[in-house]
Amino acid sequence: MSRSSRETGTAYALLAPSLFGITAFLVLPIFVVLWLSLNRWNLISPAEFVGLDNVRQVFADGAFRRSLLITTGFVVIVIPAQTALGLFAATLLTRGLRGSALFRVVYVLPWICAPLVLGVVWKWILAPSDGALNALIGQRVEWLADPALALPTVAAVTIWTQVGYVTLFFVAGLTAIPSHLLDAARIDGASPRQVFWRIKLPLLRPTTFFVLVTGIISSFQVFDSIYALTPQGGPEGVTDVVAGRIYYQAFQSRNIGQASVMALVLFILLVVITVGQQRWFRSRTTYDLSS
Amino acid sequence: MSAAERVHAGRTRPLDAAVAYLLLVAGALVTLAPFVLSGMTAVKSPQQFAAEPVLNLPQPLTFSNFTTLFGGRYDFVSPVVVTAQVVAVILVGQIVFSVLAAYAFARLRFPGRDALFWVYLATLMVPQIVTIIPLYAMFAEAGLRNTFWGLVLPQVFGSPYGIFLLREYFRGIPEDLISAARLDGCNTMQILRYVVVPVSRPILATLTIITIVSHWNNFLWPLVITSGPTWQTLTLATANLQSQYNGNWTLVMAATTVAIVPLLVLFLTFQRHVVRSITITGFK
Repeated sequence: MSRSSRETGTAYALLAPSLFGITAFLVLPIFVVLWLSLNRWNLISPAEFVGLDNVRQVFADGAFRRSLLITTGFVVIVIPAQTALGLFAATLLTRGLRGSALFRVVYVLPWICAPLVLGVVWKWILAPSDGALNALIGQRVEWLADPALALPTVAAVTIWTQVGYVTLFFVAGLTAIPSHLLDAARIDGASPRQVFWRIKLPLLRPTTFFVLVTGIISSFQVFDSIYALTPQGGPEGVTDVVAGRIYYQAFQSRNIGQASVMALVLFILLVVITVGQQRWFRSRTTYDLSS
Repeated sequence: MSAAERVHAGRTRPLDAAVAYLLLVAGALVTLAPFVLSGMTAVKSPQQFAAEPVLNLPQPLTFSNFTTLFGGRYDFVSPVVVTAQVVAVILVGQIVFSVLAAYAFARLRFPGRDALFWVYLATLMVPQIVTIIPLYAMFAEAGLRNTFWGLVLPQVFGSPYGIFLLREYFRGIPEDLISAARLDGCNTMQILRYVVVPVSRPILATLTIITIVSHWNNFLWPLVITSGPTWQTLTLATANLQSQYNGNWTLVMAATTVAIVPLLVLFLTFQRHVVRSITITGFK
C-alpha cells in the first residue's frame, strides 16, 4: 500500500467518531427540521404532510411577528450597551493601573455561570416584596411583572452577564495596538480624546466586528435567562422572544411543524445578519498591524 | 500588568487614576453584589428571611437550607450526581475524539480534507434552537428520551469548536518532533500519545475547562430530552425548584449556590488560562 493511501485510511479512521457525531447531530437535524416544517405533527399521532401550510400560518401569525420585533428590541438594547460599557471598562483596564488583572477576572465571573442559574438569582433580587433591589432602593417596583419594565429589566440582566466577556476582547485588542503608533500621535500633539477616536477605535475594528457579530447572534437566541426571569412570554407577552416562542410552540402547544418553520426563519435571519455584517465591515478600511 | 499594557498608560495624573479606580470599584461591586447577596441568603434561616429586612446579615449563620436541599423530598444529590456524570462522559468523549480529528486535519494529507474541514466549521453557525426540535424527534424515535445516553450522545463525539481550536495548535507543532517519533517506529496513536498530547497540555487544559463549564451550564437540551426527577440536571433542578417553591428564597439561593460555586472554584483556580483562552478563541 502506498504511503498516501495509508495516510488517507489513517485520517478517516481518526475522523470517524467526530464525522459520525457531526453528521448525525448537526447536519442531519437540518434536513429533519426542513422535513418537519412541511408536516403537521403533535409528537403523538403520526405526522401528516401539509406542504407549505405551516409556512403560511407562521407568516400570518401576529404572535411570531411580534416576537421577532421583541427580540430585535432586546438586541437593540443589549448590544450597544454591552459594547460601549465593555469598551469603556477596557480603556480603564489598559491604563496600567495596579490591580487591573484582578478587576478583569471579577468582571468576567458572571459569564462563566449558567444563564439559567443567574436568571434565578436575579429573579430573587428583583422580587417585588422580598427582593434585594427593592429593599435597597426602599420602593416597591414590579421589575418583572410590569409590562413596561420587563423587557428592559431582562435586557439589563443580560448586559450585566456579558459586559465582562466583551471587556476581555477589548482589553486584548487595545493591548495589541503597537505603542509606537500611540507615542507618535502624542508627540504630534494629539489629545487623549483624539488618540482614542482617531487611532484606537479604528484599529480596534476587527475586535469590534467580532464582539458585535457574536453578541448579536447569541442575543437573537436568548432563552435560558428569560425562561427563568419571565416564563411564558412574561407579562402581556412583552418578553416573548423568538427562542422561547419556538420552545413553547414545539413542546407546550406541541405544534412541531410551525415551530420548525420558526426555527428555520431564525436560522436564515442569523445567516443573513452574519454575512451582512461581514460585508459591511469588509467594505470599510481595515488596518494591517502585522507588519 | 504586562509591559505592553503599561505603555498604553501615557501620562496618567493622580486625579485621573482616582476617578478610574472609583469607576472600576463601582463596576466590581455591581458585578459581585448578586453573588454575595445570594450566598448570604443561602446561609440565612427561613425564619429570619421572613421576619427581617432581606439585606440584614444572617444571624445565626445556618446551613439548614443545604441540609433541607440535599435531604428528604428535594433530593438535590441526584441532580449533582447526574450533572457530574454527564459532564465527565462528554468531557472524555470530546477531548479524545477532538484530538483525533484535529490531528487528522492538522497533520495528515488526504482527499477531501479542506472540504470536510469547511463543513465542520460551517456547523459552528447552526444555532442550538434550530437543531433542538429535530434532535428531539430523532431521539424520541430511537427511544432515548429521558435516558442518560439521551443527555450525552449529541455532544460526546467531539465538537467542531474543540476540533478547530486543537487543529490550530497542532499545526504549530514542529514537524521534526513528529518525524523523529515516526523514525523511531511510533505509529499514529503512539505519536499522539507520546508527542502531540504532551506538548499540547496548555490548549488541552483550556479545552477541558471550556467543556466542563459549557456542559455544567447546559439547560435547553436537558429541559427538552428529560422529564421527571431521574435524569434532572442541576440547572433543570434549580429551575424547577424555583418555579415550584417560588418565595422559598433561602432554599432556592442554596440551590443556585450549589450550581455556581464549583464553577467559581474551577475558574478562579485556572483563571489565567481561561482568560487568555477566551480572548484567543472566543468560546461559546
